[in-house]
Amino acid sequence: MLAAPHYDFAHATAALLAILALLSGLSLLLVKQVHEQVRVYAVLSAFAAGYTLLVGIDRVDAALIVLGVWTALIKVIVIPVAIDRAVTRQVSEHEVPLVVQVPMSLLIGVTLAGLAYWSAAALPIHGALLPTPALGMPLSLVLIGFFFMITRQNVISQIVGLLTLENGVFLATVAIAPGLPFAIGFLLLLDLLPAVVFYGVFARLIAARAKTTSIEDMTVLRG
Amino acid sequence: MAVWLLIMLALPLAAAGVGAAIGDRPVSGWLSAVAATGSFACALVAVFAYHAVRGRHALGSAFFVDGLSGVFLIAVAFVYGVVAIYSVGYLLPGIGHVRLRRWYWPLLNLFGLALLATPVMANLGVLWVAVELTTVVSALLVTAEGSDESLEAGWKYIVIGSAGLAVGLLGIVVIYAAGVPTLGDHYTPTYTILAHAAPHLNAMLVRAGFAFVLVGFGTKVGLVPMHAWLPDAHSEGPSPISAMLSGALLAAALYAVLRLGAVTQLAVGPSYVHVLLLVFGGLSLLLAAFFTLRQANYKRLLAYSSIEHMGIVSLGIGIGGPIAAYGAFFHVIVHAAGKTLAFFGAGDLLSRYETRDADGVRGVIRAAPFTGVMVLLGALAITGIPPFGIFRSELLIVTGGFSHSKYALAGLLVVFANVAFVGVYQLFHRMVISPGGATSGDRTRIGRREQPLMAAAMLISLAVVLVLGLWIPSPLNRLLHAAASVIGGRV
Repeated sequence: MLAAPHYDFAHATAALLAILALLSGLSLLLVKQVHEQVRVYAVLSAFAAGYTLLVGIDRVDAALIVLGVWTALIKVIVIPVAIDRAVTRQVSEHEVPLVVQVPMSLLIGVTLAGLAYWSAAALPIHGALLPTPALGMPLSLVLIGFFFMITRQNVISQIVGLLTLENGVFLATVAIAPGLPFAIGFLLLLDLLPAVVFYGVFARLIAARAKTTSIEDMTVLRG
Repeated sequence: MAVWLLIMLALPLAAAGVGAAIGDRPVSGWLSAVAATGSFACALVAVFAYHAVRGRHALGSAFFVDGLSGVFLIAVAFVYGVVAIYSVGYLLPGIGHVRLRRWYWPLLNLFGLALLATPVMANLGVLWVAVELTTVVSALLVTAEGSDESLEAGWKYIVIGSAGLAVGLLGIVVIYAAGVPTLGDHYTPTYTILAHAAPHLNAMLVRAGFAFVLVGFGTKVGLVPMHAWLPDAHSEGPSPISAMLSGALLAAALYAVLRLGAVTQLAVGPSYVHVLLLVFGGLSLLLAAFFTLRQANYKRLLAYSSIEHMGIVSLGIGIGGPIAAYGAFFHVIVHAAGKTLAFFGAGDLLSRYETRDADGVRGVIRAAPFTGVMVLLGALAITGIPPFGIFRSELLIVTGGFSHSKYALAGLLVVFANVAFVGVYQLFHRMVISPGGATSGDRTRIGRREQPLMAAAMLISLAVVLVLGLWIPSPLNRLLHAAASVIGGRV
């Protein structure tokens, strides 16, 4: 008879955080308001930071704990506030035109998550504290981020989509390569800051020129 | 070697800092030109004077230079050097349309710094950071002309490029995870460590990781079907930046693919890497060749030519064997020189005729003979006409294909390189040779005297692509053999 797998508090919490991260990724697809999208991203990042902290504490790894705190600081507070202040207050319209409507978006999102879990199941890899397949949730976020970017024709939404995708990659790093040297994780996080600043500069340029953050009119260059 | 590499990286950093501090002054340009040419000299010394072709770490394990990184470092440093020289002339009043002048030099130098860092970083995570830095910096440079079109191009570039690089990072993470059972939880992901442990890496994970790497970094290389950003960014950015994107940025991203491809090849055998490169390279060559036939925008045409050439390099590596791989690496260098010449010529045309539409440009050879000759030679060089270096590299790849009995692939290259020749040459011939006055622009501007620094940069690029077609210096020959041995097998 096979012994039942042992789940302790850390494993249960990690599984819960993974589910919450996936649900917040999916809930992005429900939200039409730009401000709300930024807030959902902050919530998703909070779960990512929580998972990083949990893995750090479980492994007694100071570097991961510091990375978790930094993640919380930068992704939950600094980036959402910066995006909100830099761009969304500059434009009058806040509802994003959708290429694919909400019910269909959600259906596609769930399908993508299923596809991610199915693909990840083929990879022989164990994640830190996560139930197998360890890459299922991070890959789901990557695919949902891509889908969100493609179907939301607004600069802020596309930034949020990109950052969601990046959160997926970040979670994959913590889950399957928690020992990746701290310097690298820190560099990646630092690298996110200038990237967001540059996205912000772009978004402001676009908003200043067109008085909108919609990119529906960006169709001049073809062929 | 570490000292030279540090100086190579410190020069653009210093030039960027000074440029940011003093703003849009002529001295910023001159300083940048000196820094960029100095960096090129340092790169030459680091690669050739320290037997780096055998593979050497420097500054502990911070830097790593071998034949593969040497080839890409030389190509990138050369492009950065000539672009800085050309830009000094291009930014003079009345020539190039660059509205973000205040930030042009700091951004150009940061772009150069990130490009130079990419091939020499031993740590694959830091390599990713360097490539990511090229995206954020160059996307702003693409918008430097300040038009609606350039803003659209810049936005597409930063969004698609960043998304691609996130997938590339996922690939690095998965390959790192493949090494954990052998190397332990905490190890530094350098090429040498992973290459040493390659036979013990989990093959399934390495395969998955390389697929992510190819799709992710392949987006930056402009491989089809992830190329959507490239024609827009190359055509709408200022011409010196287009040259930098085409000759250096694509090469730097391709370096990342090949460096991780070399690890994958050691772990799972060469055929997996070769097949993927053949598929993406072949698609890129095929699609780009056809797109060159229908372009009316001459800068956009050159952008599609860049996709075609990245396809040729990928095909050369994918064919396998030392001859084709040697040809592919030689192609990286001659394409860098040839494409800078072509984009410099296109920039000169744009500054005179003030249009990217080929129908608005006629009779260049009479109105501006030097520019006309350079533009035409640039078109001939990038289409692989003898005696230019690109002819030689393509011939080597085709020879490699035949020697490996891959006749269909060699035939594919010959056919579609010729399709691209028709597309590129007919458009440039029409602009330069066909009679008829210009349909746009004013006569004084069109017939203005050559700007000496722009002309010098064009002549340097021309000399390199021409001389390398006739003669390959023995240090470069050794470097190319060493690069080929990393991923194509030993001679």
